[in-house]
Amino acid sequence: MDRRRFLQHAGCALCTPAADRLFFRVTDAAAAVAYENLDPAARLKLADMALDLARRAGASYADVRIGRTEHEFLRARDRRLEELTSNLTVGFGVRVLLDGSWGFAGSERVEEAEIQRVVGLAIENAKAARLIQAIPITLESVPAYREDWRTPIRIDPFSISTDVKASKLLTINETALTAGASYCTSLMSLVREEKLFASSRGSQIAQVRVRTAPYFEVTAVDRQSGRFASRASLAAPRGEGWEYIDQYDFLTEAALAVQEVQTKLGAKPVTPGRYDLVLDPTNLWLTIHESVGHSTELDRAVGWEANFAGTSFVTPEKLGTFQFGSPLMTVVADRSQAGGLSTVGFDDDGVRSIGAEFPIIKDGVFQNYQMAMGQAALIGRGQSNGCAYGDSPASFPIQRMPNISLQPNPKPTSLDDLIAGVENGIYIVGDGSFSIDQQRYNFQFSGQLFYEIKNGKRGDMLRDVAYQGRTPDFWNAMDGLGDASTYHLGGSLFCGKGQPQQIAPVSHGAVPARFRQINVLNTERMDF
Amino acid sequence: MLLTPSDAKVVTDRLLARSKANHCIVRLRGGERINLRFARGSATTNGDQSDLSVTVESHFGHRSGAASVSSLDEQALVSVVARSEEIARLAPENRELLPPVGPQTYPAGAGYDAATAAVRAERLAAVSKPVIDEAVSRAIDVAGYCMARRGFDAMATSAGQFAHDARTGAEFTVTARNKSGTWSGWAGRSNTRFDALDTASLGRRAIDKAAYTVPAVRLEPGKYTVILEASAVSDMVAWMMWWMNARDADEGRSVFSRRGGGNRIGEKLFQDGVTIFTDPGDPVAPERVFGDDGLPQRRTVWVEGGILRNLIYSRFWAQEKGREPIPRPSSFVMAGDTTTVDEMIRTTRRGVLVTRFWYMRLLDAQKLLVTGLTRDGNFLIEDGRIAAPALNFRFNESPLAVLANVLAIGPSERTRGGENEDSVVSAPPLLVKDFNFSSASEAI
Repeated sequence: MDRRRFLQHAGCALCTPAADRLFFRVTDAAAAVAYENLDPAARLKLADMALDLARRAGASYADVRIGRTEHEFLRARDRRLEELTSNLTVGFGVRVLLDGSWGFAGSERVEEAEIQRVVGLAIENAKAARLIQAIPITLESVPAYREDWRTPIRIDPFSISTDVKASKLLTINETALTAGASYCTSLMSLVREEKLFASSRGSQIAQVRVRTAPYFEVTAVDRQSGRFASRASLAAPRGEGWEYIDQYDFLTEAALAVQEVQTKLGAKPVTPGRYDLVLDPTNLWLTIHESVGHSTELDRAVGWEANFAGTSFVTPEKLGTFQFGSPLMTVVADRSQAGGLSTVGFDDDGVRSIGAEFPIIKDGVFQNYQMAMGQAALIGRGQSNGCAYGDSPASFPIQRMPNISLQPNPKPTSLDDLIAGVENGIYIVGDGSFSIDQQRYNFQFSGQLFYEIKNGKRGDMLRDVAYQGRTPDFWNAMDGLGDASTYHLGGSLFCGKGQPQQIAPVSHGAVPARFRQINVLNTERMDF
Repeated sequence: MLLTPSDAKVVTDRLLARSKANHCIVRLRGGERINLRFARGSATTNGDQSDLSVTVESHFGHRSGAASVSSLDEQALVSVVARSEEIARLAPENRELLPPVGPQTYPAGAGYDAATAAVRAERLAAVSKPVIDEAVSRAIDVAGYCMARRGFDAMATSAGQFAHDARTGAEFTVTARNKSGTWSGWAGRSNTRFDALDTASLGRRAIDKAAYTVPAVRLEPGKYTVILEASAVSDMVAWMMWWMNARDADEGRSVFSRRGGGNRIGEKLFQDGVTIFTDPGDPVAPERVFGDDGLPQRRTVWVEGGILRNLIYSRFWAQEKGREPIPRPSSFVMAGDTTTVDEMIRTTRRGVLVTRFWYMRLLDAQKLLVTGLTRDGNFLIEDGRIAAPALNFRFNESPLAVLANVLAIGPSERTRGGENEDSVVSAPPLLVKDFNFSSASEAI
């Protein structure tokens, strides 16, 4: 009985597979081989089986991803460990191109019978999509690769005992509470993502990506005034091993954060107006992400994401001519940078991405979009530049960001040099509130810490600061940039896009930069 | 993957029987989601995704740890119990850890529709086609998303509790843009029942909004009377619901903290007509039947006649404060009234009609100030009628201020927010005074 007939006959569609095959299928060894038992050869055999089924069903192209993701998460609130979870997810996805329509299906059951069912669903979905396929999907050719790649790490985070990780967090919290914080929450997220990609073009690519993400936030409360303030860690998530967490000096930062949050609580409210801003790279990485990263995604620019993520003000006729920012501004996309969350050998279309850097903006001029397979022809170009990612093997791969980084000033320039050039301004550290419109024009960003700049010197702390601007005006107002010694790699694990929404990890390198006469708001509301 | 209550019970019983911990909690969650997207009038991506998670939480005294797998294979289940016990033994003590709940009585769920559970891709394409056809005939570009999902949650404890909840959901959202990219419109709905989505009507609504040929006017930022359609209201109120945690309020770090200590339960914070509740039996936006802690979700009134009546109390915090626990809800209903959007327009001398919000983020926790933008259907209202499309705005505003400034309330309807996928919300359109638009956005 196939699945549809079962649904029709069962009366209740809640129970999908037949009950006798639901669980504890250890005796049914042929149909229920646990993923954990699959060696690389067995995974390849399952992938081949999926590709062969798709080919026989008439697909002109097919690919399959089989994956396994380990995720360990710990959260400590003050002096207790509040959450400790260890998750293991396996799954696969099959994508077929049939008569110019995509069809995709995925499942958590990596076994032969399920692969047959899921390939059938992918074919069925492609046939259904034909009804509204006014413009056929066409693909460029992509070379076949048979390679392995893994994130270079020194210490596997999953080799470290859980109690060591818990102790790390509780020590951070103890340091902050002892230093006078009212509250401290810390957390740690560790991911190992293993994925096999195989395509009907002959590629077989096995990759392992590792991510480590530490975080803490201290809060100070003044019960008398009813005011409270917080300060988050400046530690960024990274595509690195346990060595990153091991080497980061959280205890010094936690103690410092407590001093800073107490100062912030009583700091002077900012007077709204236009200011020269010096943005620390711990703040600027997120501005790059939102205003440069998302605006230069080709699928947005051509309207494919109009219903949710939006379109872009960077329309295709601007390629090669649009003055996005000042001549100091060069932004490079890469999947090669050490520690980058998007660093990977091949993207989820099987396109080689490591060593395939490309400029998005060069000397202020827009040069390249980010593209996935099947998009380059839309702007008269030949090849994808390796920017596809699906957030699980069972998610349809869509265009996602590589690491996108603002390049340092080749001339020696320090943070102090940038501040020295400001008469009346604000220096902003750390990322805070962030929001930008659906075409990536109007943005508003806050931060963790704000300092007055008066006559070239950093002064007192301010509070309630946000800066708001229009992307090309903002980047054209940049007139100072730090050199390579000031470079910092920020990033996020949670970049959202697509429907259903997928999240992607991405890093952005930045140096401190100076922007002239930017609109600054005071975010405190006094009228209710 | 979906499991019936009896199949889920077999799995949880087997896992609990294998546990060597002092206490054990098993959570099962799974489902299947089918979706189809289109843009520029043509299919783009689609997918049928099946998923499952099996989570085992083990307690040894005050130590706990949880492990999960996405498989029902014997080997995976044996391993997940062992892994949760291993990490629980290594965990530091948590003095706030409570033993799991025992047997409970749950309300009947109202969130499952068998016909929706059986929807296939062919149906998604069929209901999308009339929208694309109308857009083509009116020279408008449309991009949309059509989805049906079915899923279940189950939970069992070594103290004898067992719960199962099956849910379905369906969504259709569509953004229409004119060919020159100078104006746009949006419409969207979610529902428990796929059959309740009138996709042709939603498509027409989005296309009608995008088809305005009068050039958009640029308004100065400032305080405006606004008519917020239901989608925008749902997003604004959702921000407030997320922050309704009693412990944060009692600890002095929430907009619901009372100066000098305690929280603001009992205070009149909003306009008289504002009532917000959650209810597992609500036919429009049914709450889940059980909360994350295994306690039954009951009808809970959060705001009644403008007065804050309840906050979320975890089991631990409720015990500390001598109150009944109130689990975090996954849905809400903002009660409606009778004033339609057309009537709100007729009574507005000068204001702005807002279709939906976008990219809302917390700006200042002290006053729960949120920033975001209007999108896909902002219109200037003058002298009781829509005068012209109005370019979008950024706002810096608090849901507390919005609900205090309500002038009129429309009928409550199941709606879909701008960013809140899979949300289960019923909200009315609102007429609100003094809404703070902080800067202009030229984005269309």
